[in-house]
Amino acid sequence: MTLADAELVRPITPAPPTADRDETSSRTRQTAHALLRRPGFLIAVAYVVLVILSAIAPRLFASGDPTQTEPKDKFLAPSLHHLFGTDELGRDLFTRMVHGSALSVEATAISVGLAVVAGLTIGVVSGYAGGWADSLLMRFVDVLLAIPALLLALAIVTALGFGTVNVAIAVGVGLTPGFARVTRAEVLRVKTLPYVEAARSSGAGPLRVLRRHILPNSWGPVAVLAVLDFGTAILAVSSLSFLGFGAPPPEAEWGSLVAAGRTYLVTSPWLTLLPGLAVGAAVYALNHIGKTFEELQRWH
Amino acid sequence: MSRQHRPAFRRGALATLAAAALIALSACGGSDGSSAKSDGPVQEGGTLKLAFNQDLFGNLDPNQNFWIESRSIDRNLVDSLTDQDPKTGKIVPWLATKWTVSPDAKTYTFTLRDGVTFSDGTPLDAKAVKTAYDGIVKLGPLASLGATYLSGYKETKVLAPNKIEVDFTTANAAFLQATSTTTLGILSPKSYDIDPKKRALGDFVGSGPFTLTSYKVAQSVKLAKRKDYAWGSEINKNRKAAHIDALDVTFVPEESVLVGSLTSKQIDVAWPRNPLSEQSQQTITSGGGTVDSTVLPGLTYNLIPNVKGILGDAKVREALQKSIDRTEWAHTLFGDDYPVTKSVIDSSTPQWSDQSALLAYDPDGAAKLLDEAGWKKGSGAYRTKDGKPLEISFLTVAPWPGWDLLQDQLKKVGIKLTQKVVTPAENTAKANNGDFDLTASYFTRADADVLRTFYDTNVVKPGTGPGAYTQDPATAKALSALYAQEISEADPVKRKAIFAEIQKQIITAGVLFPLQDRAQIVATTDQVHDLDYTAETFLRLNDVWLSK
Repeated sequence: MTLADAELVRPITPAPPTADRDETSSRTRQTAHALLRRPGFLIAVAYVVLVILSAIAPRLFASGDPTQTEPKDKFLAPSLHHLFGTDELGRDLFTRMVHGSALSVEATAISVGLAVVAGLTIGVVSGYAGGWADSLLMRFVDVLLAIPALLLALAIVTALGFGTVNVAIAVGVGLTPGFARVTRAEVLRVKTLPYVEAARSSGAGPLRVLRRHILPNSWGPVAVLAVLDFGTAILAVSSLSFLGFGAPPPEAEWGSLVAAGRTYLVTSPWLTLLPGLAVGAAVYALNHIGKTFEELQRWH
Repeated sequence: MSRQHRPAFRRGALATLAAAALIALSACGGSDGSSAKSDGPVQEGGTLKLAFNQDLFGNLDPNQNFWIESRSIDRNLVDSLTDQDPKTGKIVPWLATKWTVSPDAKTYTFTLRDGVTFSDGTPLDAKAVKTAYDGIVKLGPLASLGATYLSGYKETKVLAPNKIEVDFTTANAAFLQATSTTTLGILSPKSYDIDPKKRALGDFVGSGPFTLTSYKVAQSVKLAKRKDYAWGSEINKNRKAAHIDALDVTFVPEESVLVGSLTSKQIDVAWPRNPLSEQSQQTITSGGGTVDSTVLPGLTYNLIPNVKGILGDAKVREALQKSIDRTEWAHTLFGDDYPVTKSVIDSSTPQWSDQSALLAYDPDGAAKLLDEAGWKKGSGAYRTKDGKPLEISFLTVAPWPGWDLLQDQLKKVGIKLTQKVVTPAENTAKANNGDFDLTASYFTRADADVLRTFYDTNVVKPGTGPGAYTQDPATAKALSALYAQEISEADPVKRKAIFAEIQKQIITAGVLFPLQDRAQIVATTDQVHDLDYTAETFLRLNDVWLSK
C-alpha cells in the first residue's frame, strides 16, 4: 500500500527539473574538463588575467614611477634590476609597460564594448524586424565595411581629437559592422526555428520572444567574435597610438612605447621588441581563447 | 665670432668622451670648415644623393619660403649680393664687389660684379637687382621673411649699369647681412612676371652654380651643374663650376630609415632636421660614415611663454628659468659632446653673448621664488595655490623624449607641465592666437635681428605669432626701445653690445626660456668630401666632390 502510494505519488513530484539541472552541471563539468586538458588555453588565460590585473592594479607588478627619468641610466639592456631595460631617458621600460596596460586595456574594453552593444542592437533590429529597416541598416553596415577599418578609425580620431577614449571610440566604430552582420545572421537563423514559432503562436509578444528565445540562442558566435575582436582591438588601438593619436605624453601606451623605441632599433632593440612581444602575446592569447571556445561550441 | 661646434663626432672611441671631444676639436681646429677632410686630389663628376627631412610647404621660391631645407636647396640656385663668412660672420663680396653703408643705416650702395649672367643668359645688372628687391616687396605677405629683412624699404635706385642704391625710410642695420641670404636672393627680371604660385613650384631663374632640373613637391628635387658658373664668393675654395654634376634630393622624415639609407649607401648625405640620436650617430660612424655637427645661427630652441595665463607672474617665469637643467637636457638627448646653450640665440650668431650665469640650474632658488609667489608645496607632487595646481599647458606638434624630460625636470620643483599634442595646422593657429601657456620655436638667421623679427611687439602683433604674447607692457616697452637702437646702429661692435643687453633682459624678464643650441647634424658616407655650409648652415655645393 505504502509502496503503491509512493508509486502513485512519484509522477507528480517535479522530477524533470532535477534531471535538467544534473544534465547542465554535467555539461559544465565536461566543458571544464575539455578546457583543463588544454595547457595552451590555461597559459593563455593566465596571461590575459595577468594583463588585466596589471591594468587594474599596476603597482602590484611595478612600484616605480613610470615617468621618472634617470638620464645616467639610459639605454640599459634588460637585467634583473630592469626587466625590460631602460629607455632613452633612463625610465624603466617594464614599469612603463605595466602602467601603460591600464590605458591600453581600457581603450580595448571600451572599443569592444561599444562594438558589441552597437553591433548587437543593429543586428537584432535588422534581423528581427526585416523589411525596410533591415535594408537600411545593412546598407549602412555595407558602407562601413567598404572603408578599411584603420582608415575609418584614423578619420574618426582626427575629427574627435587625440586621446585614449577617442581612439577607443574610433576603433569600436570600425569593429561594429562585423558584430552587426554576425548577429543578424544568427537572429535570422533562430527566428524561423519551431520553438520560436511555438512561443509566438502561444501568444508571446515580440519583445518577449526576442528576449527569452532569440537573444539567448544567438549570442554564442557573437561571444566568440568578441573574444577574437579583443585581439584585433588591441592591435588597432596600439597602431593608432603608435601613429601618435593616443594618450598625450608622457603617458605610455603599448603602441606609443613601440613607436618611441623604433629610432633605436639597431642599437637598443629591446625598446621596441619587448613591448612588441608583450602586445603580440596578448593578442595571441586572446585569439587562442577565442578559437578554443569556438571549437567547444562546435562539439556541443 | 667663430663657430663653436665644428668638430665631427668621431664615435666608436667612446672610452672617455671628454678626451674624444678634445681629439675631435684638435683634429678640426683651424680646418677650412668642411665636413670631410680633403683626401687626395679632387675628382670631378658624379651625382650627390642627399636626403632632407621634409618638404612641408612645397615652396621652392627663395624669396617666399622660410623652410630650412628649401633654403638649403635655393642656396645653390640663386646668388646674393653678399656672402657671409661661416667662420667669422663677416660679410664678404659676392655679386656686389663693394658697398657703403650710411652712418644712419638708411642708405646702402652696392657696386656689382661684371659678367654675371642668369642661367637663361640675361645679364645680372643694376636693373635686375632693382627688379628683384621691388619684386620681393611686391610679394607682400607671401614674402613674410623678406618683408622683415627689407623693413623700412623705400626704393632701389639704379645709379649706373653696375651700381645701385637701396634707400630705407627707417634705419635697417641688419640689411647688409640680409643681402647675403637666399631670402633676398636675386632672380632674373622675367621671374618676377611669373605668378608667385608657379614660382613656388620652381618656375624661376637664378644665377647660382646649379639649375633646377625637376621639382616634385614633397618627393624629390633634382639640380644640375651650371658649367659656365664663375663667380663664387671668397668663402669657397672652388669659385668656378661645381665638381659634382648633379644633386638628387629626396625627403626622408623617419630617422631610422634615414640612417639605414645612408649605411646602405642609397644616399650619400643624410641631412636631418633634428639632431640624430647618439645611437644613430654610432651606427653611422661604425659603418665608416662621418657625422658632422655645426651649430645653426639664429634663435636657439626656446620655450615661449604666454604672459596672459599662469606665466603672467614674473616670479613663476623666473622660477621656470631656474628649473630647466640645460646641461642634463643637452647631454641626455644628444650626447655628452653636445653644446649646452648659453643664450636665447645660438653661439654661432655673430651677436651672441654668453649669458650662462643667468641660465644656471637652480632648483632651490626656483622653489624659493615659487614659495614667495604663493605656490606652496603640499602633500602631492605639485605645488598649489588656493587649491589650484601649478599647471602649465605646453603646446606641441609631436611627442618627443625631450618634452618628457622637461616635464620631469619641472616636476622636481613642483610645476606640472601638461603636453598638448595637436596637428601642425592647429598648432600654428593656437600659437598665433595666444591659445597656450607655453610653446616652443626656433629660427635660423645669422644675425641677432631675428629676435626683433619674432619678439618685438612692434613687429609681431597678436594673431601673427606667439611672440606677441611673451611680454608684459613694461618689458615690451624696454625691449622695443633696445630693438630700435640696434636696428639703427651701423657699427657692428656697438650693435653687438646692444644685443648683449637685449639677450640679458630677455632672459631675466622671462621672455624666452632657451633649451638647447641647435646643431645641424649632417652625416655622410666616406665617398663625400669637402661638403660645406653657408654661414646660416645651409648646403653649399661649390666644393663638394665624390670619390669613386
